Amino acid sequence: MVTYTKNPLINDTIPKTIESLIADDISHYLVIKDGHILAKDIDIEGLYIDNFDNALSDKIDVIQKIDDTKTDVSDAFKYVKENATSGIFVHVQKNTVIEPPLHVFVLQEEHDMVHNTIVVCDENSQLNYMEYYQNEQPSSNNIVNQAIVNENAKLTYTTMNLFTQKSVLDVNRQGLVKRYGTLTFNNAEVSDALSNVNTVVKLVAPYAKSYVKTVAITNQQQEARFEQLVEHLAQYTEGYIENYGVSSDTSALVFEGVGKIHKNMKHSIARQQNRGIVLSRKARLDANPLLLIDEYDVIASHGAAIGKIDEEQLYYLMSRGLTKRNAERLIINGFLNPILDALSSDKLKTLFIDSVARKTQDL
Amino acid sequence: MSKLEIKDLHAEVEGNEILRGVTLTINGGETHAIMGPNGTGKSTLASVVMGHPKYKVTQGEILLDGNNVLEMDVDERARAGLFLGMQAPAEVPGVTNSDFIKTAMNARLEEGKKVKLFAFIKQYDKAVQELKMSEDLPHRYLNEGFSGGEKKRNEILQMKMLNPKIAILDEIDSGLDVDALKIVGENVTSMKHDQLGLLLITHYQRLLDYIKADKVHVMMKGQLVKSGGMDIIERIDQEGYDWIKQEVGIDDERVIPKDDKELVTIGTCATKEALDL
Ligand SMILES: Nc1ncnc2c1ncn2[C@@H]1O[C@H](COP(=O)(O)OP(=O)(O)OP(=O)(O)O)[C@@H](O)[C@H]1O
Ligand SMILES: [Mg+2]
Repeated sequence: MVTYTKNPLINDTIPKTIESLIADDISHYLVIKDGHILAKDIDIEGLYIDNFDNALSDKIDVIQKIDDTKTDVSDAFKYVKENATSGIFVHVQKNTVIEPPLHVFVLQEEHDMVHNTIVVCDENSQLNYMEYYQNEQPSSNNIVNQAIVNENAKLTYTTMNLFTQKSVLDVNRQGLVKRYGTLTFNNAEVSDALSNVNTVVKLVAPYAKSYVKTVAITNQQQEARFEQLVEHLAQYTEGYIENYGVSSDTSALVFEGVGKIHKNMKHSIARQQNRGIVLSRKARLDANPLLLIDEYDVIASHGAAIGKIDEEQLYYLMSRGLTKRNAERLIINGFLNPILDALSSDKLKTLFIDSVARKTQDL
Repeated sequence: MSKLEIKDLHAEVEGNEILRGVTLTINGGETHAIMGPNGTGKSTLASVVMGHPKYKVTQGEILLDGNNVLEMDVDERARAGLFLGMQAPAEVPGVTNSDFIKTAMNARLEEGKKVKLFAFIKQYDKAVQELKMSEDLPHRYLNEGFSGGEKKRNEILQMKMLNPKIAILDEIDSGLDVDALKIVGENVTSMKHDQLGLLLITHYQRLLDYIKADKVHVMMKGQLVKSGGMDIIERIDQEGYDWIKQEVGIDDERVIPKDDKELVTIGTCATKEALDL
């Protein structure tokens, strides 16, 4: 069960960076800072979105049902559920297809962030939900993102994180996918924080499907760890994990993806792909793809391709006059391209590309 | 007047000497062709001129308009006016053809200046049409999933956009069907002007039906062993390379023979050379 206490709001101005992201480029947005909603421009039929103040009374029946389905969770997960100071609840009604992407800006300014987002998509609904996280100064940030995808519903839940240096980031994402449901968890990680992002997706009914895609760039002394576990708890389920990483300077980036097919969950598909570019001799990038399969009649694959920037690609671009640095930039951006499509506005895409450039500037 | 001078060039890769004294001057307005059997060092010459990091120059010079090319990085060479249409260009996922070529064009401008977007698109579309390439080309990723022929055309397209002083085209004709060969050949010919020096590396006479060459050279064992006019090509086309091998006294024309390296180089060749003296 969620317990929730909000901290007082000290300053109700929306940071300039967020203002400029919203300006003319984005519609259907919500800005929440230290748990308080500062701006909200979302009014779509069949969609409920609000902070926990209201949701805990308006939607308590739905929220209670979620907690009943929850199984083994980490301490960090429990901590956020019990100590949240910031919360967003999203509920898409049955048979509601929401075309335009929603943008939620979750900001920290005064207090450490303890944030919980819950997205529930009811039967036959569809939602493209994008969350952008940022802090103003070094802070400790604990985040839980929960996604419940009911029968034949489709949810794309994309997060982009930009936390400062000397911050600590601990994210626990949990997805539950029912029959014929599809959950896509995208994560564009350009924080400078010490990060730990843990994703668990449970495919609990036949034909449930999930895509977990992570793109992360680490630099300087940053350490970041991304764990994904996709559990096949029914037959005919499909889980895809894709990780793209770039590590530079003396940073360390780790991907630990696990596809787990339980006994008897026949005809399931578990695939995983890891790709990485290591930009300096002291940088580390490890991918440990794992398949835990307790059933024969399944399709499974995993792979990891990690190395330096391809010398032939670099030579080719430079042979047309690009400086080494520009050539490297272009190759890295191209490599990270798979996440750009998931970012729902041009300004966010630009912010992502600029953040990558900033994090790889010491090449 | 552009001028590329290659003087007594020696180069090695992984400890093997591949180029063994190549001398060649290409002036603006001239078209040279290099022919030669497989594995004789033609692509290596092209790569060394462009500055591929794998090859090490051990002797000789390369000058472009009198400037020392060997002191330049790959990108500086390109900006100085060298272009290499590669035999096997790399694929670069996620980088679109148009972004790439735009960045390459910007790299040639003064710091802070950029190509005008509208003019660029117009020029690019025109080049795409002239080469009869598909219209989605600008948005496709650089060479990714391209057929052999598409890759070759894409090299020529880049040459059109970048307008080099000296262009080396390495087997730009291989993998092209008859129609594509004609298109590529005519496009290259249409780019000829008195400032452009062209070096074509090819195995076939048919390319030279569309692009007239002023001089033809034959490469064997990492050297240009014979030079002359178009008549050489006709003879090669009919008779192969044996007559040249006999003329210059070479038994195995490859730089690194496939079989037992030492046995062949020390045994057979040394004897041959001695006999022909
Ligand atoms: N990067 C490299 N690493 C190792 N060996 C190389 C490399 N480049 C060239 N060589 C060797 O040098 C020799 C000449 O190769 P090159 O590609 O220059 O021949 P070529 O004349 O262009 O042949 P083709 O007509 O088949 O294209 C060959 O024996 C080749 O294996
Ligand atoms: Mg070759």
